[in-house]
Amino acid sequence: MALLQLENVASNYGSIKALTNVSFEVNEGEIVTLIGANGAGKTTTMHTIAGLKELNGGRIFFDGQDISKWETQRKVKNGIVLSPEGRQVFPDFSVLDNLLMGGYLQKPAVNGETLKTVYDLFPRLKERENQAAGTLSGGEQQMLAVGRALMGKPRLLMLDEPSMGLAPLIVKDIFALIQRIRDMGTTVLLVEQNARAALKISDRAYVLETGKIVLSGTAAELLVSEDVQKAYLGM
Amino acid sequence: MLLEQILNGLTIGSTYALVAIGFTMVFGVLELVNFANGSIYMLGGYITLMIYLGLGGHFILAFILSILITGVVGFAMDRVVLSHLRAKKAPKLTGLIATMGVATVVDNVILLFFGSQTKPYPNMIDFGKFYIGDTAVNSSQLVILAAALVLMGALSFLTYRTKLGKAMRCTAQNADAARLMGINVNLIIAVTFFISSMLAAVAGTMVGMYYQSIDINAGFTVGMKTMASAVLGGVGILPGAMVGGLLVGLFETLGASYISSGYRDAIAFAILIFVILFKPAGLFGKKKISKV
Repeated sequence: MALLQLENVASNYGSIKALTNVSFEVNEGEIVTLIGANGAGKTTTMHTIAGLKELNGGRIFFDGQDISKWETQRKVKNGIVLSPEGRQVFPDFSVLDNLLMGGYLQKPAVNGETLKTVYDLFPRLKERENQAAGTLSGGEQQMLAVGRALMGKPRLLMLDEPSMGLAPLIVKDIFALIQRIRDMGTTVLLVEQNARAALKISDRAYVLETGKIVLSGTAAELLVSEDVQKAYLGM
Repeated sequence: MLLEQILNGLTIGSTYALVAIGFTMVFGVLELVNFANGSIYMLGGYITLMIYLGLGGHFILAFILSILITGVVGFAMDRVVLSHLRAKKAPKLTGLIATMGVATVVDNVILLFFGSQTKPYPNMIDFGKFYIGDTAVNSSQLVILAAALVLMGALSFLTYRTKLGKAMRCTAQNADAARLMGINVNLIIAVTFFISSMLAAVAGTMVGMYYQSIDINAGFTVGMKTMASAVLGGVGILPGAMVGGLLVGLFETLGASYISSGYRDAIAFAILIFVILFKPAGLFGKKKISKV
């Protein structure tokens, strides 16, 4: 059974239809990527799953339960955690406080342990523990955003454009870390503009176009697919 | 004489600071200018008086009940009016106008119950006057100042040291991100209204005792002055509201005694205009830098 399953999901902003009919699934232990052009509905899909955006049609299942009407906090509590586009760290808070907010629904003892894991993955965050998040570089903020999401003990970690605006070298680091996070047992749903890098670390992928899934397959298949190469890999 | 005026100014200023803190907290979490804050302040003063007279003299009990009831009114204002506007994603301006609507309702309910005449208010904190050198010190002033300072300390602790306070500050910095942490943002906002209204009730009651009277116009003037205080300190910044309130109280008292008492209320607005013209971010405000 799939960990996450979207069934004919639709989502509107007023009269504008952002998603018309999106169905896909993510299995436990997978890295699944959504690729698509700007405005295809990738971020809306993520927001709809996370509950920031209400559902206007269809259903979402998580671990067999219908979570279509759940509030965000209930989803977070059950392990659906989104690291949003543009990082959205709390700029006035220290790195440590940002991380602790990520564990807002967890017990303090649990937070202490998860914090060790996060510092293990991102030693840079440990170095900058007491620095205000707003003063970090873009790459460090991205690490913080991912680390903060991990503090919520996700079963499904959703990452929206983790490589946006970062230098190529740092992008490589981030993708390597995503693989490590998956190897530690967290399922990952990834949205990326950088389709090539994302496909390289993914198991499967879906292509989203104007609010619909138009193509799906294993990451290896999509990497060599002519349509995908032309449209998203710039070949 | 000067020292006495400074003490007078700080006393009234500390009550402005309490109301301004509530105003600035609500602005912080919602970016909403709460025009009902002044009316809630007045409501708190009247409720204390009503319960005090009704119970036949249990002032402390009346005070505590009034703080709680006024807090609940603030909480209800968010749940009944503003939360629905948020759910419908109404523009910020709609929320602002809604707070004016709440202010009108509260003002008129008070008018209905108490009439438009000025009511005498019991001063339960008057233990006489004493002198430090030549300076006359009124015991009410000391009690008010002390209570305000204790509350400011408690509020700072709440905001900066507790989980609830951190959740409030997260909501203020980025409400969507706060949601993604699992914070119940709507509850946090309602609690902010609860706290802000309780503070207003404390200030409303203390000022009633200090002047030994309360009238139906108290809310509007204080609402405007505390808005000026919050803007002076930097809207949304807690220490800013505290310092802003004290300064506005100080300036208006000094202005009233050394220039002309007729200008007392004008001074707060002069400060407001001056700040908006020359330092719009306020004394404690900083320019925002955003990284791509």
